[in-house]
Amino acid sequence: MKPMTRKLQWTLFLRSLTLQGSWNHQRMQNLGLLWTVLPWLRKNRGDVNRDRIFCRRYYGFFNTNPYLANFLFGGLIRLEEDQDAGLELVPGMIGTFRDSVGRALASLGDQLFWLGLRPTLIMVICLAGLLGHVSAVLVVIGLFTAGQLLLRWMALRKGYDLGMDIADLLIDPRWHSWIGRMKRAGMVLTGMVAGLYLAQVAELGNSADRNLLWIGTVLGMGLPVVLRKRLPGELLIVAALFMALVLTFAI
Amino acid sequence: MALWVPVAMISDPTWLSLLILGGLAGLLALDDTALAQTWFGQPLPAAVLTGYLCGDPLTGLAVGLPLQLVLAGNLPIGQTFTGDSTSATIAGVAGTILAGNHLPQVMVGNPAGTWQLLGWVILGAGLLSLLGHFLIQAERRFNGIWMLEGLRSLRDGRLGRIERLHIRCLLTTFLRGFASGILFVMIMLRVWIPLFAHLSPTLQTALGTLPLLLPGLGVGTMIDRYGLKTSWPWVAAGMVCTFLVVHYVA
Repeated sequence: MKPMTRKLQWTLFLRSLTLQGSWNHQRMQNLGLLWTVLPWLRKNRGDVNRDRIFCRRYYGFFNTNPYLANFLFGGLIRLEEDQDAGLELVPGMIGTFRDSVGRALASLGDQLFWLGLRPTLIMVICLAGLLGHVSAVLVVIGLFTAGQLLLRWMALRKGYDLGMDIADLLIDPRWHSWIGRMKRAGMVLTGMVAGLYLAQVAELGNSADRNLLWIGTVLGMGLPVVLRKRLPGELLIVAALFMALVLTFAI
Repeated sequence: MALWVPVAMISDPTWLSLLILGGLAGLLALDDTALAQTWFGQPLPAAVLTGYLCGDPLTGLAVGLPLQLVLAGNLPIGQTFTGDSTSATIAGVAGTILAGNHLPQVMVGNPAGTWQLLGWVILGAGLLSLLGHFLIQAERRFNGIWMLEGLRSLRDGRLGRIERLHIRCLLTTFLRGFASGILFVMIMLRVWIPLFAHLSPTLQTALGTLPLLLPGLGVGTMIDRYGLKTSWPWVAAGMVCTFLVVHYVA
């Protein structure tokens, strides 16, 4: 196996950042995927027929998690290199690898990033905001940005080094342990935001009837749990306006 | 409270100001899904960035915090709705500051009834975000059409077309954010905020309560997301400890 050149790694890394740039309802990230791996094809041009087959391989339905996608991209480039070097691969193996690893990474990424890390970080910046630390909001997001870019950079190399053995990485139990930790941290931080918010409501000295405000607060916290509709936040704002009007008439 | 306030780059509602705000909205629209996904496009960071740009980060915090909490449950998994909270937040903050207002953070103070205006701005931002949903969906339909155009490369092997199509999609996202950012700021500045003075006193009072109810709704949404049975011991532990520390100790 020849190592991935630094130039190719940089090109793939920068392009992988726009994986979802052409997201569409029909095939989701397919155009972004092909655009990401295209520099490899340009570096290893064959005849038109081979290029067409390469494009076809990456233009079908594709969806994965953008933060973990570079594990897959590294692996795909490794398989392409192996095939180009004359290694016999089972027909359709690259497509199967793309689909199965992509799906596994999508599932892991949803749990780790969207349900684990994102709510946790949002609650951290909300806590900073409730305490009045404006700059801390940007610092926390900046740190996350640096961390996720580093992960994407390292994932590209790791995926390339592992190739087909990426399956060993996916079954590592530490993924799920991290997901559990992230979610628990998010729950505790949600509670901390709620506690800080309630403490600040308790200290309010404005003219509104505080008891009614307490009722509104408790109803507000309970409403999404009771409804279980997972309404978009924008609709919750409208719902909150109706609650505020009811409270106003009650006052 | 340590706070770095830069010299305001934008202090008047001029065309240059709108272009700068549109540029910020375009970049953050890219960040939201298309490019890198750094989360600077989330309501609170976007509001603080806009606040810094307009020379009043505290107003950014005041608008961004309730919005962030109530939109915390908008996660990009298993959903069909995608509001444009980024452009709406920028419009809310910039429109408020450019109209000559300063908003205090909720729970901290209420000079001269400014919570009512805060509630009005948040409501406006929510409605603009709903409007932005349709623009995002239109953009994605265009992406689909251009993606199908790329099928021609599978026949003729021309790679340049794939490159151009993807870059076109990225540019479209930027332009969508740029245009909706400017449009939303104009709506907020010229229509929504001036309308506030004509609202009935009852509605104004209700709007003053609105920002206080949103954090509770946001917390409730997150508890629902985590699952009540799984999350309640952890949430309760965090809530009780923090409440006791803040209310009785601090």
